[in-house]
Amino acid sequence: MKVEPGDFVDVERVEKVVKKKRAKFPEKLIYEIAEAAERRDLSDDELDELVKEIKKAYQRAKVEQGEAVGTVAAQSVGEPGTQMTMRTFHYAGVAELNVTLGLPRLIEIVDARKKISTPTMAIYFEEDYGADEEFVRTIANRIGKIILSDVLADFSVNYASMSITVEIDEDKIKDKRLDHDEIIGKIEKAFKKVEIDKNVLSFEPTISESKHAIRELRLLADKVRDLQISGVKNIGKVVIRKEGTEWAIHTEGSNLGAVLKMEGVDKVRTTTNDIHEVEKVLGIEAARNSIIHEAQSTMEEQGLTVDVRHIMLVADMMTSDGIVKSIGRHGISGEKASVLARASFEETGKHLLRASIRGEIDHLTGIIENIIVGQPIPLGTGSVGVVMKDKKIGGRK
Amino acid sequence: MASRKKLTRFEKARVIGARALQLSMGAKPQVEASASSDAIDIAILELKENKLPLDVNRIKK
Repeated sequence: MKVEPGDFVDVERVEKVVKKKRAKFPEKLIYEIAEAAERRDLSDDELDELVKEIKKAYQRAKVEQGEAVGTVAAQSVGEPGTQMTMRTFHYAGVAELNVTLGLPRLIEIVDARKKISTPTMAIYFEEDYGADEEFVRTIANRIGKIILSDVLADFSVNYASMSITVEIDEDKIKDKRLDHDEIIGKIEKAFKKVEIDKNVLSFEPTISESKHAIRELRLLADKVRDLQISGVKNIGKVVIRKEGTEWAIHTEGSNLGAVLKMEGVDKVRTTTNDIHEVEKVLGIEAARNSIIHEAQSTMEEQGLTVDVRHIMLVADMMTSDGIVKSIGRHGISGEKASVLARASFEETGKHLLRASIRGEIDHLTGIIENIIVGQPIPLGTGSVGVVMKDKKIGGRK
Repeated sequence: MASRKKLTRFEKARVIGARALQLSMGAKPQVEASASSDAIDIAILELKENKLPLDVNRIKK
């Protein structure tokens, strides 16, 4: 028996067993157990046994207080990182969209770059719209960048009369699902000296000096050709792809804020790979999720699996201050409270000099500081203090 | 073991180490130990039988 999404799953039954076993599981885990129980048709005894085993495994997977999770995370991400292809430019799927992947992408993520090299969006639609190819194509043309030369039938530069004559192709406009009047409006707004005779337009350059006339005309020709008549800012090419039963749009370039406002766009599934944009539009928690998702899918794409908790730790460190910070000199390591910790990372002299000028105090609460002064570090065994029990031995039985 | 929460492996190591040091410097064992066992064995035994006169303090800063 296969459990279909939306089928009834007896979560309560599992919750009861979990409670009886005195285990505390996350909601999702309980749901998954319930689902498995349903699928396998488990009896009460079997469910008992299952929960018992899961409790054991769950306890084993927990980290103890004092564990050096940061070091472990660094090693766990770093080691598979050495096996990543140094430079891969992968063309994602059938679409000819270029997306940075592999090591360069991973570096981009942890550096929290403001301008990533290949921003891209995956736009999905709400249920009623997703299957409607015509609707998706209309939206795609509104999102993707279309310039005037895409809809022209004829383009000619006349050096004798110093003018440019273009002819708009009605079929191309129809094919791209654009509006004729809207295009004319945009042209009128962008160029002052333009004569419009239905589909034939003629432009004239504004010539200040006669000896530059030819150049001015050529510049105008480029400007006319490249006039953007449709599209969302920062988005270039778009690719429409059928994914299962629905249509989705993939873009080159990204503008989450503008796309989310469009009609029919699924606000839950539509994503961008630009972490800073996610932060700006959806907030810091979304940015954290985005970091986790981007880092993990980059690793997975290369056939490497890293426990999410390592990546979550990295993402938490990067976002815990309310803004996305990079790992390195300009972010986490450069903003540490302790002078010695900062000095031990990079630019030792600069930090020590500054600290001495300002009279900074180091409370020796971190790891590096204590190593520098030669004390036990507050980690693992060193994070535990020992005290004498008061008098009666074993009295608190 | 009593109501006490289970010790982490770091706490165990720390407390056994501290007790073993005391024993090696002449503290009286709180358990019956064979002649062949050393200070660390005795400390481990003491911990097992909950007779350690030491406790851990987790909020060390």
